[in-house]
Amino acid sequence: MVRISWCPGCGNFGILRAFKEASGRMISEGYDVVISSGIGCHGKITDYINLPSFHVIHGRVPPFLTGLKLANPELIAVGFSGDGDGLNEGLEHLVHAARRNTDITIILHNNGVFGLTTGQVTATSPKGRKGKSTPYGNPEYPINPCRLMLASGASFVARVFAGDHKKMAEVFYRAMKHRGFSFVEVLQPCVTFNNFWDLRKDVFWVERAGSVYEAMQKCENIRACGIFYAEDKETYEDAVWRSTF
Amino acid sequence: MNICIAGEAGDGVRGAGIILGKIFGELGYSVFVYQEYQSTIRGGHNSSVVRASEKEISSHSYYYNVLICLRAHVFEKHAERLRGVLICDSSFNLAHEMKVEFPIDETVKKLNLPDISRNIAAISVFCKSFGIDAELVENVIRESFGDNRNIETVRTVYENLDVSVSQIRRVGERKELVSGAEAIARGMLDAGLKFYYAYPMTPASQILHFLAAERKCIALQPESEIAAIMMAIGSAFGGERAAVGTSGGGFALMSESISLAAMAEIPVLIILAQRSGPSTGMATYTAQQDLYFALNPAHGEFPLIVASPVTIEDSYRLAGELLNLAWKFQTPAILLTEKHITESYKTAGLAGVVRREVHVFREKNGEVFRRYEITESGISPYAIPPAVVKANSNEHDEYGFTTDDAEIATMMYAKRMRKEKEIAKVVAELEPCIEIRNGNDWIVTWGSNFGAVKEVAEELGFSVAAVRFMRPLFLPKINGEVFCVECNYTGLLAKLLEAEGLKVKRILRWDGRPFTPEEIREGIERWSE
Repeated sequence: MVRISWCPGCGNFGILRAFKEASGRMISEGYDVVISSGIGCHGKITDYINLPSFHVIHGRVPPFLTGLKLANPELIAVGFSGDGDGLNEGLEHLVHAARRNTDITIILHNNGVFGLTTGQVTATSPKGRKGKSTPYGNPEYPINPCRLMLASGASFVARVFAGDHKKMAEVFYRAMKHRGFSFVEVLQPCVTFNNFWDLRKDVFWVERAGSVYEAMQKCENIRACGIFYAEDKETYEDAVWRSTF
Repeated sequence: MNICIAGEAGDGVRGAGIILGKIFGELGYSVFVYQEYQSTIRGGHNSSVVRASEKEISSHSYYYNVLICLRAHVFEKHAERLRGVLICDSSFNLAHEMKVEFPIDETVKKLNLPDISRNIAAISVFCKSFGIDAELVENVIRESFGDNRNIETVRTVYENLDVSVSQIRRVGERKELVSGAEAIARGMLDAGLKFYYAYPMTPASQILHFLAAERKCIALQPESEIAAIMMAIGSAFGGERAAVGTSGGGFALMSESISLAAMAEIPVLIILAQRSGPSTGMATYTAQQDLYFALNPAHGEFPLIVASPVTIEDSYRLAGELLNLAWKFQTPAILLTEKHITESYKTAGLAGVVRREVHVFREKNGEVFRRYEITESGISPYAIPPAVVKANSNEHDEYGFTTDDAEIATMMYAKRMRKEKEIAKVVAELEPCIEIRNGNDWIVTWGSNFGAVKEVAEELGFSVAAVRFMRPLFLPKINGEVFCVECNYTGLLAKLLEAEGLKVKRILRWDGRPFTPEEIREGIERWSE
């Protein structure tokens, strides 16, 4: 294990602690968990967890995990990604993984900023936000990651706040248990470039929706947290193995 | 004998070429089929050149003994090459002395068959005129289509055509006709391929089509070439042999992931089937423009294996060899080939590739596996989940943890690079450069030109050198007059030979067409003018 190099107070500490608890539960139930991460502050997480892992390149966690899961469908495959990593550079892979219902879990560390490259806007940064690459304000509208994943066909979509340990650990566990594509957006404050710990008092929990459309409405408010949607449908791996052999 | 079938896209020109090739294969001939077609689904101009010989051949010829025209307007394009019989519909009124005409269109219409069946009628006209047994033709057609639909066509032609041009006889045992794409696919399968990922791109798509239909491995079409190679890396990290296939544009997208595979020491085989560039170029035409691209495919320095097959059999052998080598050395390997290999057909026996085992650790004991152990050879033990194995795109220590420590980085980088020496030792034993000695002067080439070059060299008394392994590079040790034959503008291999101090006379083309023996002979003659 290596020394943790996140800034003191980083939202990633909460994610790390909650994931260790959730994966510990999975392992105690007899599952083998494998993790992967992309590029950015979130990407360091694979070094901090005593599990098989692959820290890959920017935006490419979903196809990597898809290939791994196809090769060994017994594994619980979890990918960590960031808003830059998953929604800027690697957006298409998330959409296709969701559409296929690949049985992997993606935990998206959404801090609304490129932290490791010192503070540029990402696809989730609000319009008008000033950053190093947008000194006069971000000209782009942000994307709502949960809504995108719902529209893409993800079969498990949730949002949690990095400061809510109990709920986060539970959602991670349920996402891993879910057979199919699970997407968890974590609102993760970046203390150095986008500190929104204040959001703690604003986030609220919503109950699971009965339909994709209802879920899309529920996740519209970015302060809304909860498991917005979950359904059972055939996974990609099952479909591929069934149709090939 | 060299036969050209010409028509439009949608006329079944390609299929007709394959069927005629199979017929000659049944009769024991060595057959080579060249497919020339446009990036068009209907209309345009396609041709299929079928060459059959009692001698072993790996190329078609420039001049035709027979031209089969499925449309009147394509005749003009080919007339200059015709040195024999024209076969066409009676209604075409084409000006040529030796002609066999038949009411092809009328026959197909009377039998209530779709227009595309004109290809079978035309082939039947050829077969009847050249004394080929109807039953043999029917069997090949039945086997190819899996039904009896076109059998009536054959019978009608045989009953109503009373022409005998010549008598083609059986010359040996049946030979199987395979495409380069199939040969590559079978080579990979025999070497243990379990996953093949490819985004459609000519001229590599037929490898995907073959593997998807064959169901001997999982063959999938992901969202992009980037996804394809990342999935292959994922499957290899999971312990299964995986490969990807593409052409230049898709290969460019794979670049970053090739560097990742090298850094994390993950074996992956990439089939790079070249077509004419730059950019979209001429999508359905052959080329040899990407040699340096394949040799330097991504950022950073890393061990890499690049080889280029010279024939369809060779593409079977090298595809299998490279998959085995990628696993032995835990690094990417590139099979650099061309449209003229993947989409051409040849009678070939494909056998001999085996899966060479590599030990893989998979036991979990809670401790982090020393996956990147510093060794003298540079090769470290391979481990897969659920063993706690940590792979990394960042520079890393022996356990796979990220590092920027100067001392560790120095050692780890050198460990990876040491594999190059080991690779060179093994490749040296794999006939990395084919040398055939006939005379003092040489024709040097690579890839699909080999077939045509070999014929010319035999005829004119040249020695031949064909470079198969490009990385590690094995150039021939030669002197005397040196010609270099390539399908590119600058002479990419020629430049490598010149760097060795040789004086090279280039014979080049970059029009998307492969060399025939006649054109190489002309190229040599031009140099002596």
